[in-house]
Amino acid sequence: MDNVLQLTDVSKVIAQKQLVAPFSLSFTAGQIVALCGGNGAGKSSIIRMIAGLSKPSTGSITLNELTIEAQPEQYLSAIGYMPDDYQFTGSFTAYESLKFWGELKQQSTERVRELLALVGLQDTGKKKVHQFSKGMRQRLLLAQALLSKPALLLLDEPTNGLDPYWMKQFVSIIDETARQGTLVLFSTHQLQVAEAAADHIVLLDQGQIKLSSSYSDIKQQYGEEGIQKAYEQLFWGEEGPMKRVRS
Amino acid sequence: MNHFTTIMKRELRIGFRNPWAYSFLALFVIFMLSMLLIHQQGYSSGYSGVTGMLMNLTLYLLPLITLMLGAFSITGEKEDGSAALLYTYRLSMTSWLGGKYIGLLLVLISIVTIGYSVTGIISSFTASGFTASVYALLFIFAVLLIAAFLAIAMVIGAIASTRWQALTYVIGIWFFFIIGWSPIMIALLGQLPYLWIKPLLTIMTFFNPAEWIRVYIIAALGGGMIVGPEYYQWITWVTHPSGHIAFTLLTIGYVLGSLALAGWLWKRGRYRG
Repeated sequence: MDNVLQLTDVSKVIAQKQLVAPFSLSFTAGQIVALCGGNGAGKSSIIRMIAGLSKPSTGSITLNELTIEAQPEQYLSAIGYMPDDYQFTGSFTAYESLKFWGELKQQSTERVRELLALVGLQDTGKKKVHQFSKGMRQRLLLAQALLSKPALLLLDEPTNGLDPYWMKQFVSIIDETARQGTLVLFSTHQLQVAEAAADHIVLLDQGQIKLSSSYSDIKQQYGEEGIQKAYEQLFWGEEGPMKRVRS
Repeated sequence: MNHFTTIMKRELRIGFRNPWAYSFLALFVIFMLSMLLIHQQGYSSGYSGVTGMLMNLTLYLLPLITLMLGAFSITGEKEDGSAALLYTYRLSMTSWLGGKYIGLLLVLISIVTIGYSVTGIISSFTASGFTASVYALLFIFAVLLIAAFLAIAMVIGAIASTRWQALTYVIGIWFFFIIGWSPIMIALLGQLPYLWIKPLLTIMTFFNPAEWIRVYIIAALGGGMIVGPEYYQWITWVTHPSGHIAFTLLTIGYVLGSLALAGWLWKRGRYRG
């Protein structure tokens, strides 16, 4: 199958500090890829480079053989992006916010309503978005990223603030999206989400890719505990994971 | 609906839903009514001490409010992450900055129009209100100040990363253009040979929109003598029919030039993270 996203020798250096070491990866349509790692691992830096928000220091990124430098309009129209650091401050309702984004992406009000229902925000009425809980805002941002049925869905920490029910719903939403041919790439530090949703895992630590493998290969190599075991072995080593300290 | 209209409509919604718009409206109405009361204490037509005072107070208030609201609107989007998200929406710079500019312009002009309308209605019931032509010119003065300083605000918004940084730039630029301009000009031009003063002052005036808008409106009000002998050439030029066309082109050019600069600065900063 042809690669949808091709990252070749990509790296990011800011003020002589290497945020992401050079790496090459490629993914095909319909894959769900999880970028896992702790704080400062470089997950968001990679997502921002793919979204065109930050220029790679080296290397190239192509999406359906398009580059942001040569074909910015076509490149960006193939992306649905959900940021991690978005703050809702305006006095808009969920419908008004999504309708605004929908108009920018030439989407109908039916599509806007359909997505609001998908993320469970159809009954929020006149409640302003800045009064929403973190989880509700995350769901609205997810709906925004899904608006145009993009070829690449880029989600930066999408499950932050989601309760267990919506975490499960999130997994089924992105699974359904991938089934329709979208490449889904999301960052998370919640390994259980990666384990539940992804079919390719990239483990990052301090800007270095420590492991990039399919879920089935990880499971084969590390056993039933899969990614959790891989993470423990790669990052915690002999020290082992955090344990309960109170008796 | 195109991107430009969508951005403009959103800006209008934000503007009219925010409490600051109504605070500014109340402040502006009080200010206008005070001016009307002062004006009623003695009748005069054309340019008078009261119209001069009204212009000066408008010069203090409007550029500052416009600069703050315009610059905060842009830097706010940066701080909230909205600008980053909209980068991924294939928005052209014309749609993004142009839509924001026109949206904010309409909000501010609406506020000023309400202020002038309330005062105008009350003024029509009194014997010694402003004459219609003076009132219209004062309104045009306010609108032109908003248009020019809002364009400068877009440049500040493109440069500043945070609202606090924008506030620092806004106060600096406002102080330089409105308060500091005359003393700085007097101090600098006073050091030069006499024959250089007039041409240099003319050139320098083009850099400060508050100054050339003020000179234009004062001349149109028939008070050209008040601005001093250095501006006599301007007065002759402004009162000539081609002067109005040149002034209109100058204003449009200033606004478009500032917006183009803001767009260039915005694009330049895009990949810097």
